[in-house]
Formats: sequence, C-alpha cells, structure tokens
Amino acid sequence: MRKFLTRRAVASAVSLLVLIVMVFFLSRLTGDPTQLYLPVDASLEARENFRNLHGLNDPLIVQFGRYVGDLLTLDFGDSIRKSRPALDVVIEAFKWTLTLALITMVLVSFAAIVFGALAAFNVGGVFDRIATFFSLIGASAPDFWIAIVAIVLFSVNLGWLPTSGTGTLWHWILPIAVLFIRPFGLILQVVRGSMITALSSPYVKTARAKGVRPRPVIFVHALRNGMLPVITVIGDQAAGMLNGAVVVESIFGFPGVGKLMIDSILQRDFAVVLAAIMVTAFAIFLMNILIDIAYAVLDPRIRY
Amino acid sequence: MRKKSALMGGIAALALAAPAFAEGEITIALNEELEVVEPCMASQSNIGRVILQNISETLTELDPTNGQLKPRLAESWSEVDADTWSFKLRPGVTFSDGTTLDGADIKHSMERAVSEALTCEIGAKFFGGMKITVDVKDDTTVEITSDPAQPILPLLMSTLTIVPAETPMEFVRSPVGTGPYVLAEWNAGQNIILTARDGYWGDAPQVTKATYVFRSDDAVRAAMVGAGEADIVPLINQNDATDAATDFSYPNSETTYLRVDNTIAPLNDIRIRKAMNLAIDRDAFLGTLIPADAIKAVAMVVPSTLGSNPDLTPWPFDPDQARALVAEAKADGVPVDTEVEMVCRIGNFPNVVEVCEALQQMFADVGLNVKLNMMEVAEWIQVYSKPFAEDRGPRMVMAMHDNNRGDPVFSMFFKYACEGLQSGLCDADLDKMIAEATAATGDARAEAWKPVFKRAHEDLVADVFLFHMVGFSRVSEKLDFVPTIATNSELQLSQIKFK
Repeated sequence: MRKFLTRRAVASAVSLLVLIVMVFFLSRLTGDPTQLYLPVDASLEARENFRNLHGLNDPLIVQFGRYVGDLLTLDFGDSIRKSRPALDVVIEAFKWTLTLALITMVLVSFAAIVFGALAAFNVGGVFDRIATFFSLIGASAPDFWIAIVAIVLFSVNLGWLPTSGTGTLWHWILPIAVLFIRPFGLILQVVRGSMITALSSPYVKTARAKGVRPRPVIFVHALRNGMLPVITVIGDQAAGMLNGAVVVESIFGFPGVGKLMIDSILQRDFAVVLAAIMVTAFAIFLMNILIDIAYAVLDPRIRY
Repeated sequence: MRKKSALMGGIAALALAAPAFAEGEITIALNEELEVVEPCMASQSNIGRVILQNISETLTELDPTNGQLKPRLAESWSEVDADTWSFKLRPGVTFSDGTTLDGADIKHSMERAVSEALTCEIGAKFFGGMKITVDVKDDTTVEITSDPAQPILPLLMSTLTIVPAETPMEFVRSPVGTGPYVLAEWNAGQNIILTARDGYWGDAPQVTKATYVFRSDDAVRAAMVGAGEADIVPLINQNDATDAATDFSYPNSETTYLRVDNTIAPLNDIRIRKAMNLAIDRDAFLGTLIPADAIKAVAMVVPSTLGSNPDLTPWPFDPDQARALVAEAKADGVPVDTEVEMVCRIGNFPNVVEVCEALQQMFADVGLNVKLNMMEVAEWIQVYSKPFAEDRGPRMVMAMHDNNRGDPVFSMFFKYACEGLQSGLCDADLDKMIAEATAATGDARAEAWKPVFKRAHEDLVADVFLFHMVGFSRVSEKLDFVPTIATNSELQLSQIKFK
C-alpha cells in the first residue's frame, strides 16, 4: 500500500507541475491586469508604475522563475485585487466549498444508494418507476432554475428559509438541496443499473434460494459488489463540487472557491487563480486516494 | 398526529429563521464583495458605499441636490493664488483611534493617495498628471498647491479620503477615519459590519449598525427586501423594479455613447457622423431596452453638471436625411461601403447586446455597413483607450462614462483633447477651448464649458450620444431614504432615517 501511495503521489506531483506551467503561461495570455485594475482614465504613467510595482514588465520567463522560487517556500504570491496572500484568500473560500461538497455528497450517496438499490429489487414496479422518473428529472434540471424557483417559493412566498447567505444552519438548506438534486438522479441510476446486474448474479439467486430475507440480500450480498462503479461516479461528482459549485455559490451568496476562481480569472488575478487550482487539485488527489482505498475495501480481489 | 405536530413545529422553527433586526440596525445588499476596505480606493462604487463619509471623510463634500460644495472636515477654504488654496480644518475632530485631526493628516493622506508604493484609485483617477504639495501651516490650516494650477482644487478635495498620519504606506484592513462609523467586523465573503461610534464631531446618526452583505445575483438581491433580509439594495435590475412602494430610479451619472474614431474613413467625414446620429430612433429605446426615465444625451456629462449647455438638443430620428447624407458622401468618393466595426462591452449595462444589435440594424437601414463586435471588458479597454493600434480600421466603441463630480473637467480632456486617452479626434480649436475652460474660475467657468459642449456635439459631431442612464434601488418601506445621483458612489448611513 505504501508503495502504491508513493507511486500515486509522484504521478500527482508531476501532473501538478505540468498544470502550474500551463496555467501560469495560459493565464498570462489572457491579458494585462493593469487595464482592469486601474480606472479607465488612469494615465499611462500610472499604468507603467502599476506594472513595475507588480513585476508585470519583466519577461514572462523571469516572472515564472520568480513564481516557482516563491513556491518553493510555500509563498503563492499576493492577490493583486485583495492585497493579501493568495493562499489565505483561497483557503478561506475552499473551506466553504469543502463543507458544502462534503455534506451534499454524504447525503446524496446515502439517499441514492438506498433508493437505487430498492428500485433495482423490483424492476418495473411502482417504486422503481417513481424513482426513475424523479431521478431523470433531477439529472436533467438546470441548477440555476431550481435555485431561483426554490428561493421564490421557500423564501419569498412561504418565508420558511433565508434567500441566501451563510449566517445560520438554515442558510445551508437551500444550497445543499439544490446541489443534491442533479448528482442524486445520476448516482441513483448508476446504483439501479449496477444492482440489477448484481441481483441477477448466481450467488444472489443462491442466497435467495436458501431463504435469506430480501433486506440482507440487497444491502449485504448484492450491494457490496454493485458499489464499484457507483464509487467511481460518486468520486467524479465530488471532484466537480470541489472545483466549486459556481452557480449555487453565486445565487446563494456562498463565498466558495468556484466563484472566487471565476472572478479571479475575469479580473486577471493570476496568483489567486494558480493558488485555487493547486489547492483544488491537491484535494482531488487526496480524494482519488480515498476512492482507491474504498475499492480495495469493497473488493478483496483488488490489492495495491 | 404526533408526526403532523412535529412537521408543523419544524415549519414554525424554519419560519423563525428569518433574521430579526433590532432598532437602529439595517442591512444593505451589495452586488459584489469588497476586495479591500481601503480609504484610498473609495472611488470604487461599492467600496465608496461602505467607506465614503461613513468611516472616512473628505475636506469638502459635493451636495448632489444643487451641485454645490459644502464643508466637511474643512470649515472653509480660500484661494491664495492661482496655484494654491488654503483650507481651514474643523477644530475638535477626532479619528476613531482617538487621535485629533490636524494638518499632518491631510498631508499624509494626499501623499499616500498618489504614492507609487501602493496603487490608489483616488490618486490615479483624480490626481493623475499633476503634482500636489500640502504645506501644513498650523494644526488647523493647510495650504495645498497644485502644478499645473487646479481651479477646482476644493472640488478635488471632495474625493480625497482623510486618514491619520500614522497610516502605513500599504493597504489597510482596519481603516481608521473621522466618520460617524467604525468597521466593527469584516467576515471575508460574508459581511462587513459598521457600528456608530462615540465622539463623532457631527450629529449622532439614527442608524447605529449597518451590515453589508454581498449577493451577485440580481433576482436574489431584489428578493431580499421582500423577505425582510435587507433594507437597502443600491442596485437592482430594471426588470425587477416593479414595486412603486420600494423601488426608486435615480440618475446614476452614467452617459452611454458611441466613441467614433474621427480619423479613419468613412468616419472622418462629418456627413457620415451626422448620418449615424440621425439614423438612431432614440425614443424607441426608452421604456423598452433602456429605462423610461433615462434622458437623451447631448453631452458627455449629465445635465446637472456645471456648464451644461441648455441650447443643445438631441439629434432627431430622420432616416431619410441620413440616407441623403450617406449618398452625398458616396458621390464625393467617401468609401461609405467600408465595414465599420462597432465594439460593445459584454455586461456594460442591462440589455446592452440588444441595444447594440438594434443600433447595428438602424445604421444598416440608412446604408451604413456596421459590424457588431461584443468584447469582454479587458479586450474592450484596449480598443477604448490609447494607444490605439496603428493598423486599426474604422471603429466605434460603445462606452458608459461616469462623471458624478459636478465638473466637466473630469470628462472633457480625456474624451476630446488630442492627448485625451479615450479621444477619437484631434481638433486644435477644441483643445484650446478645453484648456481655457479648465483654467477658468467662478461664474466664467460654467460659461467657458458651454461652447465646448456645442463644438463637440454640433460643430464637429464628434460622437454619437445616446442616453444619460438611470439606476434602480430597492429600499424597505420602514426607511426614510431616497436614492440620488450620489447613490452610485456612496451611501451615507447618517442620511438614512427610520419612519
């Protein structure tokens, strides 16, 4: 296992390095932040002073060398827009995104596995038809539309929940509910398909023939083997959320890393863009390790 | 039954989730989070709405109701000579850190605003291209000298936020000012809280605590007032402004226009520029794509600006005359069929895409070949500001210019002088007139600006003016507050009353 982890860490570090080089140079191609930072009437002299102050007049390769040098001391540079260390800005935002993603994915995974497994047990039955109907709606409904409708209904008309913000636990209900819907629909369908295959396996038929009750047949015998593709999809969905649920963050005023990244790209705040990408890439690397471990736990044939 | 009770209890608990505000407390929903809370950046709209005259004050203050300057931290001011003005400071004013305001604070504030060690927007926007020296005569008197001379120096001082002399030459996160409020909390990404402070030199405000929250979605911001989560939303979308009891439109000091490059054919022919102005049915936009309260523009600045020329009238909609002018130019060899690029900026104002598409069609109807090019802001700035590309073709750039300082000097040089950064023409007479108006003082100043506007609009037909725009705010019915032209750049909490 240790060997496997080392191998994965080295591979991820190489990927991260390539990512840094690509993002550094590609982001510089998008333009000069001076134009966006200074008022449109600022003099050419003021613009030149700004470029000198932030080292933007240096050749690109010099800027890159300086960036890598700073990175070796874990200095990710300062945000031009916020006049603060870029890493602090990103970590602040990432905490919100991580919490939102973690809670949502735990709820989604639990609900989708239970409902998907039950739907698969009686294919074509009433429960299966209802679950399939709603999961397809969930998987195809646009986030922003659901979010706005939810705010109008539950916040403005009924007054049950806050429209947006982060002040109390109540503020988390709508964002989590909106984030929940799409992956729930998708994962439920994967669980259902995987479980149909597992439930038709000879070992499950044998268990049934021996008189094992339905619940243990579904949740003990079949589910464990049916989980491998489900874990893959859960990981994929979780990675998407760690990169930021931009729509939900924007509408509900959640100060997450997705909205931060979009704003930073638009404003050419290069240090924040790079720091955000590295933090999320690192988190996704850790998550992939966890998924690999989960594979090994679920399937004794997999050994690293 | 038990389950039903539990459900009802849950719903009741959720209903209680709406925040309850104590007396004297208000919540303001801004459209974006503040990146810094730095006094020398207070010329940015949202930073100004938090800081300007709430935490940090200025020597003078522009009264939006009459365009006159009024005292703030300076009790009075007088002209010493053409270059120098003397300001007498209000005695007994203290900063929120307990120190007393004196001349050294004014000197430091100015030096900080224009320092190369930190790029302050106030310095770059209002004090670029001049050298300002502050001479501290005594604790309550300063003499400020500018090179070149600035007849409107007292007006410029309405933009300079005053900080204590001890403020470092770097952006601060806990601004100290002389205003009626202090920054109590700044929870990054969530909110900023200001509370009223003891020891303020002026009257105690009714609002004792203001919480600023940030919501980028227009519909959510607008919904927050109805849901009781916000009391003032300075900026809502015109499509959401449907409730006469809470929604206000106000002139936001922005003027939309097409900056025309007068140097390249066919736009270098005045008949083509006239034809473009005559081709636009401005009335058709009002109440449809542009708010009904917007005003057809005849100049780069709003009508309340000093020296506005009341004799100027908007170009009429006369497509027949426009076609005749195009035909006449074509007969004289002007390449009227050349493709003219019209650059518009994505997100510049609501419905900008539709407005630009409609303009393109109106130009086509009179025989002009205009191609629309929507650009993102950074790309747009490069074609709007000099240096212009040497190999550029004929081009118009739609822009929205903001001048809320009451004097044309903040607009006319930049937009019309030969050396102006966004000027699309070079006219020696206009340059001379701008220079004379810039140097004029007193009543002569207003008179000097009037012919400048006429020359740009009627004699040269330099640009295509469109509209003086309006913004929309939503204000809770519990408040006695009406947004004004100043709401675009500041939100003085001390002016907000409870009904």
